[in-house]
Amino acid sequence: MMALGHAVGRRVLLPLVGVVIVLAIWQATVAIYRLPLIVLPPPWTVATTLADLVGTRAFWRDVGVSLYEFVAGYAIGTTLGVATGLAMGESRRFRQALTPVIESLRFIVPFAWIPLTILWFGTSYAGKIMLVAYAVYFVMTVSTARAIAHVDPTLTRVGTMLGMRPLRLALRVHLPAAMPTIASAARAAAAIGWIAVVAAEYIGASAGLGLMITNAASSLATGVVIAGMIVIGLIGAGVSAAILAIARAQPSAR
Amino acid sequence: MTTATRHATPTNRHAAMPTPTATDAAMTAGRDARGGLTVERVSHHYLANGRRTDVLDDVSFSVGAGQVACVVGPSGCGKSTLLGLAAGLMRPAAGRVTWNGETVRMGPTDHLGMAFQQPGLFPWMTVRENVAIGLTTRGKSRRDARRIADEFLDTVGLHEFKDAYPSQLSGGMAQRVGIARALALKPRLLLLDEPFAAVDAFTRLKLQQEFKALLKLDRPTVLFVTHDVPEAIALGDVIVVMSQRPAAVKTIIPVRREERDRASLAYAHKLAETLACLGVTSDMEGE
Repeated sequence: MMALGHAVGRRVLLPLVGVVIVLAIWQATVAIYRLPLIVLPPPWTVATTLADLVGTRAFWRDVGVSLYEFVAGYAIGTTLGVATGLAMGESRRFRQALTPVIESLRFIVPFAWIPLTILWFGTSYAGKIMLVAYAVYFVMTVSTARAIAHVDPTLTRVGTMLGMRPLRLALRVHLPAAMPTIASAARAAAAIGWIAVVAAEYIGASAGLGLMITNAASSLATGVVIAGMIVIGLIGAGVSAAILAIARAQPSAR
Repeated sequence: MTTATRHATPTNRHAAMPTPTATDAAMTAGRDARGGLTVERVSHHYLANGRRTDVLDDVSFSVGAGQVACVVGPSGCGKSTLLGLAAGLMRPAAGRVTWNGETVRMGPTDHLGMAFQQPGLFPWMTVRENVAIGLTTRGKSRRDARRIADEFLDTVGLHEFKDAYPSQLSGGMAQRVGIARALALKPRLLLLDEPFAAVDAFTRLKLQQEFKALLKLDRPTVLFVTHDVPEAIALGDVIVVMSQRPAAVKTIIPVRREERDRASLAYAHKLAETLACLGVTSDMEGE
């Protein structure tokens, strides 16, 4: 019984403690400083706002748009990034030719591109998709190239011994051997990509969670702003968990 | 051991090949017109952090087609490097290695089977897939590859583990999978790097016997690195004794059939002779 009690304590009670502390500080701040609803509504008000929001069709449309932009950009960025990283890991020439470009571009954070994407693509989905793809691409390229370079050399020797030519060796040995590292990079990239979507929507969008929040802010609906922020956090965590689950389902993760 | 029934298609190479006798002529350095593996004046070194480590120093010997050469020598003397060079996994700094009269080049071939000291199994594949992938790479159908993989896993006593993943195996079991993977290719040149090192003594003797039976069927040319002198006598047609690093060939000792009988005086003499070459003298002399 003691052991069971401990398990429940660890799994459920301890995480709840953190949430309760944050809510308590929030509530206390509102109460002590007598903050008006426009500045900071109390947790319960935000909770009811969120409940109302979830019941509207517009909210789900915004969620759908943001997720669509994210998934499309993420798929493009991951695919191209893994392909580039694999080529860089396999071919020294390719690596030498590409490293300067990758190394200089990857420090231009995605947000620096937002003005240009608005100039080129307006407030359309394409701009956001490109931005997510860009954000994800560099993380995936650099991590994949590094993972491929660190594959156990014995596995390469085994593959060569078995008669594999370079392309087969790359696809059948190096890529699966690097998969666990690539999968954890893919998780980190998802967080970056999701941040990029929301940030881009803040600045210029025709729909999406970011736009919902900026519209709410300009009409001083602070409750909606905070509710939207919570939704962004929850979706981000959900996306990360989903990618972890997909990665774990692969036999290479064993 | 039921391997005789497994190899339904015996190669016709038997006829073309000389019987493996350890004549001195076959062991002399230089080109061997009859095929097999030759190592000609090979030297090799590694560079690490700007420091050069010489590993092989002017090594020459040859292994006639269908012969088994066991390489013995102190740890870290470059035996594994020798195998890597014979496999075409690296290029010698000086000298050359030839296979059937042609210089061994870097890259994949289809005459080679090799078992490594670190088994190097692919962790994302089952044991059976690990053995089968070499066969499919070399053009066998998936079904044939699966069947052959199962046969050889049976031979090394791992039939029940064919659907397991490498992480679920002990070190000795993983090594046996590595051996099965090399043997399943039915290679003309078989390179083995201490293949039975992580296996317990009993299994080791059993594997040695089965290995000998397998060799009789296909008669590959074998280069077998081992620490174990009795094993070298049991399996080798010749024993190549290497010196400390940078390794050179100290002596090449032919082994006759009657010297393999562990109950015989001839075996005892051969053991003493080989150990003496390695710098180990018999206990009696010290007293």
